[in-house]
Amino acid sequence: MSGRRGDAAGTWLLGGLAATAVAAMLAFGAYVLASGFGAFWPARVVELGLRDGSRVLGEVVGGDARAIALRGSERLRAGDAYLRIARADIVAQSWPSEVVAILHADGRRTFMRGDAVASDDSAVEATRPNALSLPARLGLSLARAARFIATAPEAGGVGGGVLPALAGTLTLVLLTSLFVMPVGIGAAAFLHLRRGPAVRIVRAAIDTLAGVPSIVYGVVGLGLLVHGLGGSLDRVLHADRLAVPTWGAGGLLWAALTMALLTLPVVVISVEEGLQRIPESLRGGSLALGATREETLWRMSLPAARPAVLTGLVLAITRTCGAVAPLMLVGVVELAPALPLDGTFPYLHPARQFMHLGFSVHTAALASTDAIRGVPHAYACAALLVVVAITLNLVAIVLRNRLRERYRELGT
Amino acid sequence: MTIDARHHSPAGGLDVQPAVALRVAGLRVWYERRQVLDGIELAIPDKRITALIGPSGSGKSSLLRCLNRLNDEIAGFRMEGQVLLGEVDVAAGGTDVQELRRRVGMVFQRPNPFPLSVHDNVAYGLRLLGLRRGAELERRVEAALHAAGLWDEVADRLDGSALELSFGQQQRLVIARAIAVEPEVLLLDEPASALDPAATLHLEELLRTLAQRYTLVLVTHNMQQAARMADYAAFLDAGRIVEFGATDSLFTNPRERLTEDFITGRHR
Repeated sequence: MSGRRGDAAGTWLLGGLAATAVAAMLAFGAYVLASGFGAFWPARVVELGLRDGSRVLGEVVGGDARAIALRGSERLRAGDAYLRIARADIVAQSWPSEVVAILHADGRRTFMRGDAVASDDSAVEATRPNALSLPARLGLSLARAARFIATAPEAGGVGGGVLPALAGTLTLVLLTSLFVMPVGIGAAAFLHLRRGPAVRIVRAAIDTLAGVPSIVYGVVGLGLLVHGLGGSLDRVLHADRLAVPTWGAGGLLWAALTMALLTLPVVVISVEEGLQRIPESLRGGSLALGATREETLWRMSLPAARPAVLTGLVLAITRTCGAVAPLMLVGVVELAPALPLDGTFPYLHPARQFMHLGFSVHTAALASTDAIRGVPHAYACAALLVVVAITLNLVAIVLRNRLRERYRELGT
Repeated sequence: MTIDARHHSPAGGLDVQPAVALRVAGLRVWYERRQVLDGIELAIPDKRITALIGPSGSGKSSLLRCLNRLNDEIAGFRMEGQVLLGEVDVAAGGTDVQELRRRVGMVFQRPNPFPLSVHDNVAYGLRLLGLRRGAELERRVEAALHAAGLWDEVADRLDGSALELSFGQQQRLVIARAIAVEPEVLLLDEPASALDPAATLHLEELLRTLAQRYTLVLVTHNMQQAARMADYAAFLDAGRIVEFGATDSLFTNPRERLTEDFITGRHR
């Protein structure tokens, strides 16, 4: 009886742990997405009447017991109109519905009474935030989110959108996958086919590499690829005008190669495990038809291990989206002058520096001069990064599940 | 041992001695240090069904896998002696194993279709031979499926996964896969042991038909099946051939006491 009661307690414990894990995951996802979307939510504009008879329009951005922090109209540049107004000085407080908030192309916000709206060429958005209905607020948020995704950043870094960072992330993921998948599959195939001490050494090396902290890959990429390989390329190709390095500086190619190196172990391990799961009877069937071990691998085992290959790809994509630390050493910048992918020949520019959403999170949250804008901007970048990673993974997972479905009886 | 003159061919009552497809002489086999076959002498008749029967561990499957060198994949395997397929010594070191396996096909205990489409399963061996695509490939795939009695059941799902077929269909699919490359000999390692009675019956009918074109070597634990199916039978015990002869006489009038005990279920 006691054993049975113990089992029940164990079941409850496991159930509780599982529920905790699921709850934590959902809470995390909801928090990131809500915070990210919250960055686009139109704030109401308050009008304060002060003791000296003046009036101030602005968005409340914080405050404490003694004072209110307000963002007033930014006349010159974004971030120049943060005000701290003592509560004792406030004699009147209202949210007039006729207030117009204008967002300028350079990221500045100005507020004015509706009757005073002047035609302003630099306005990208003019709204009456206090008069908006809930659906209108939602619509405005979505429009802002769309503009955030589809436009380039302002010089300040926190205004404008993240299109270059999004493009940089996607290009990096694509290039990294192109580099790592053939090499990873080939290495896994080698380990699968061969026996002996050489294989044991290679496997031990790969298992070790899988545990190396990612920043170490960044250092290796910087030393070996950027300075070593890139520097040599520059000396050979551009010896006559060495003042500005072309290849000997961080860039998309070096970053993609570094990330390929970083993700190689997980791809190899995943593919090899997939190959090992293929039943011996299938290998025997192929050999009995006159196939060599190599032919069996390429024609039967690898096609049958496609779900495992896609699992490896999912892991590689996830790490490429997430590991920002090594990228900072090999080519990611806060603000890139040009996209790595554009309409001019040769379309893909592997030597160019690029932007990455993960790094945008870092710069917006930590390196911005305007923290009040920076933190919501960081959340928005983080939410977009999560959406990108999940979308890329979903594609691979749907593909994998379709294959699994097709081959579900494998190994019975 | 040659085919014993005292045993007459059961097929149609004709006394014509069939030609020999595979001749095993002085075959001895070890796994690591354990000897599993000793002094095997066997002449497997052409275009007949020869059953290998015997208790578990008697070496039936090991002998079968010597005939297409599939034992080579097992670490520690070693064999001595001769296995002649026509002029080729299967057991010799320099033999082209891939070419040999194309001449000696095999069907396993459990159906083992590849996780590919029905079509690609049958085309697998043909593609290994360099037949990439085109009318010739399609013709031979269709012919093999016809020969395996599967065409009518899969004609509309050639591109569907082979794993969606029933067990019986899967076993006939792997037979189609094996005969698509036109082997001379087909080795069958307890091919019906995973099938239900109806599928087993279907498979046995198919094997009888195939025996008109191919030499079949059948390992089976099922004495009724051996008696029903086989033209010749070899009884193995402890790595040796105790008795070999036409199935009728081996089952009705065994020469050896061991054989009689085994087929009547008194063995040990």
